[in-house]
Formats: sequence, structure tokens, C-alpha cells
Amino acid sequence: MTNTTHLFLLIKISIIAFIIGAISLPSFLELISPFWLLSFFIYWLIYSNGKSVFTSAFILGILLDVLQGGILGQNALALVLSSAFILNVKKSFFVSNITTQQVYIFISTLIYLITFLLIHSLVNGLNIKWLILLSPFTSALLWPLIRLLLAKLKQ
Amino acid sequence: MRLLKLLVPVFLSIILIVFDTRFSYLDNFKKFTLTLLSPIYVIVDLPSQVIGWVNDKGADNDKLISENDYLQGQLIELKVRLQTYNNLALENQKISKLLDSSYEIPNHDAKLAHVKSISQSRLSKKIIIGKGSNDGAALSQLIVGSDGAVGQITQVTPMYSTVRLLTDPTQHMPVKNSRNGIRGITKGVASNANGMIIEFVPLDSDVKVGDIFLTSGIGNLYPSGYLVGRVTSINDTIDASFLSISLQPAQNMNKLELVLIVKEKND
Repeated sequence: MTNTTHLFLLIKISIIAFIIGAISLPSFLELISPFWLLSFFIYWLIYSNGKSVFTSAFILGILLDVLQGGILGQNALALVLSSAFILNVKKSFFVSNITTQQVYIFISTLIYLITFLLIHSLVNGLNIKWLILLSPFTSALLWPLIRLLLAKLKQ
Repeated sequence: MRLLKLLVPVFLSIILIVFDTRFSYLDNFKKFTLTLLSPIYVIVDLPSQVIGWVNDKGADNDKLISENDYLQGQLIELKVRLQTYNNLALENQKISKLLDSSYEIPNHDAKLAHVKSISQSRLSKKIIIGKGSNDGAALSQLIVGSDGAVGQITQVTPMYSTVRLLTDPTQHMPVKNSRNGIRGITKGVASNANGMIIEFVPLDSDVKVGDIFLTSGIGNLYPSGYLVGRVTSINDTIDASFLSISLQPAQNMNKLELVLIVKEKND
């Protein structure tokens, strides 16, 4: 895969992640739904050997912040830190079975969630709906499906 | 080297967070980027547009006729009520003149907008409406539904606007008691989808369960006189400085389809 192909794949999956994230769901489902951009970005990180991981994570996080009307830099910081964890376990992730991959996804989503909630609480106070704490579980559970769909898209 | 590559975006993110929460330098950048990204909203909204179009095309003729009859009836009823309102407004003007009062009945413009099935951040209570700066929507304008105030516009793109609901914990609105004019400020409750509280009402104030609160228009940011909610409980803890008042929003935020963008009339 050339650099242009990696970049094209990143743009494609980012647009899909933005679209899925913007679909309106009942508030219960919306709270527990996975952090789509994170899951999709991890797929790109693991399976495409793309360069400039942190810069890409930062830019995509900023775009998500703007799209969600949130605090600028909130998703960017969370995505960069989660990417750093996945990059550290990249080799192990690549050869692991699906259950171990789900554990890695769970941990990276937990890092994302903690960063996200920490910034939210510092700025807006502890106004949190506790159901959001389930999102690392749903991210891990849906990982096989996400991996399958993105593999089809990559072909 | 890898650590440096990590630290640069981390520090940049922290700087952006501080700048975005403390200052407004980044507002133009956000507005410009959101305008570039707004085709994503168009794509997300496309299925509901198609469903609406198909429903319109396939609507039963008899059903349309009966709906039209019902709406004509409603229109006549509202026109009759408007006559009473106009008489009251004239009476009010005369009394104001006699008393030499500076109070005037507010005159507002309203624009209809559809609520779109687009979602934003999961921790905030926001909706997106299908009117943007191209249609005259602007930041801070008040949004009302058929039963009462809904929220305030916080982001505008040429085609869409984001409305932060009154039930969002970061949304504050100055209100007054319709019975005696006692003023306070509303705030949403995160744990309750349809909950609000009123802050800064002194302990000895005359507020009762069932009282109705309206927008007060203080600060000239919001038009005054729109229904906000009804008091459901009052807690007057002795060691607190203010009353703790719970409010049930007049407008059911879960059943919004059409809303009005309200602004002061410039004449």
C-alpha cells in the first residue's frame, strides 16, 4: 500500500465514522454506543501501516470536536492518548486472537473515556450520565463487526 | 523521538482546550470548519428527507382533505383568540399611557424550522434545526416550541443551526415568576432528561408549587414572556442561601418536530 492509499483509506473511514456518529439514536443507545471514530481509527492504525499517527489522530479529533460542538481539543487529546496505547501494543494486537483484541479495544476506549470525562468535568462540572461508562464494553463487543466491515471496505 | 511526536499534539490539544474555554479567539475557526463539515449533516439527514418526500407523495387524498379541514378549524379558533388578544393589547397600551409607564408589549418575529434527526455530543442535550445563517438564524436566538421555550442557538452554519436545550446542564436562562415577577436563572439537570432547576431565588421569596415561570428578557439576550416551565418542588434548606426550585419544562423536549426561531422585531 502506498502512502496515498493509506491516506485515502483514513479519509474514507473517518467520513463513515463521522456519519455514523451523527445518526440520531434514542438517548440510552446514544450513551452506550461505541466511540466510532476511535474504533475506526484503531483499525486504520493496525491494518494499514500509516505514518503520522498522532498528527492524524489530532486532526481527526479536532474535526470531531467541531462537528459535535464540544470543547475544542477534547476528542483530539483523548484520541491521541488512546492511539499512543494502541501503537505500543500494535505488534501484539496484529497477531492476537479476537478476544485479546477486544481487551485491547476495551482498554483504549477506557483511556479515551477517562480523558473525555475528565476534561468535561473540569470545564462543565460533574454533569455526567453514568450510562456512558458502558461504552468501553460496547466498543469491545462490536469490534469483530467493525473489523469485518472495515476489511470489506479496505478491499 | 516518538515521545516528542506524542507530546506535541498532547500540548496542542491542552492549549486548544484552555483557549476554547477561556477565550473566543477560536470561534471563527470553528464556524468555518463546521461549514466545511456540514455536508456530513446533509448525508445523515438524507434518509429522513427521502422518507418525508415519499410520505408526501403517497399521502391519501381523503386523509389530506380531513387534515386540511381540521387545520382550517384550528386557524379560525386561533383568529378568534387573537381578536381578544388584540383588544387586551390595546387596553394595555391605553392604561400604560394613563400611568405614564415605559412598558411595551414585546413585538417578535418568528421563523419556522424543522428539527433534524442529527445527533451531536452524547453528554450534551442539543438538537439541530434545518435553518441556518442563510435563513437569518443567528447565535443566541431563542427557540420555542408549541408549548414553551426550547433553548438557544449556539452554533450556526449556512444551512443548519445547533440548539442547546434548556434541560442541558450548561444552559442558563433568566426567568421570572408569572404570578409576582420574582426572578431567577434556570439550569438543566444532567441526570434527568426533562429536569430543570431555578437558581439564585432568595430564601424568603414567595414561590409556590405550580407557579409558572416565563423568560424574563433580562440582558436583552432573549425575548421575554415565553413559557419556560412549572414549579414541581421547592426545597428551603436553612443553611442554604437560596431556594432550591425544581421546574418541569412546559415543552416536552422528546417530541419536537417543528420549532420557531424568535427574535425581536426591528422596526
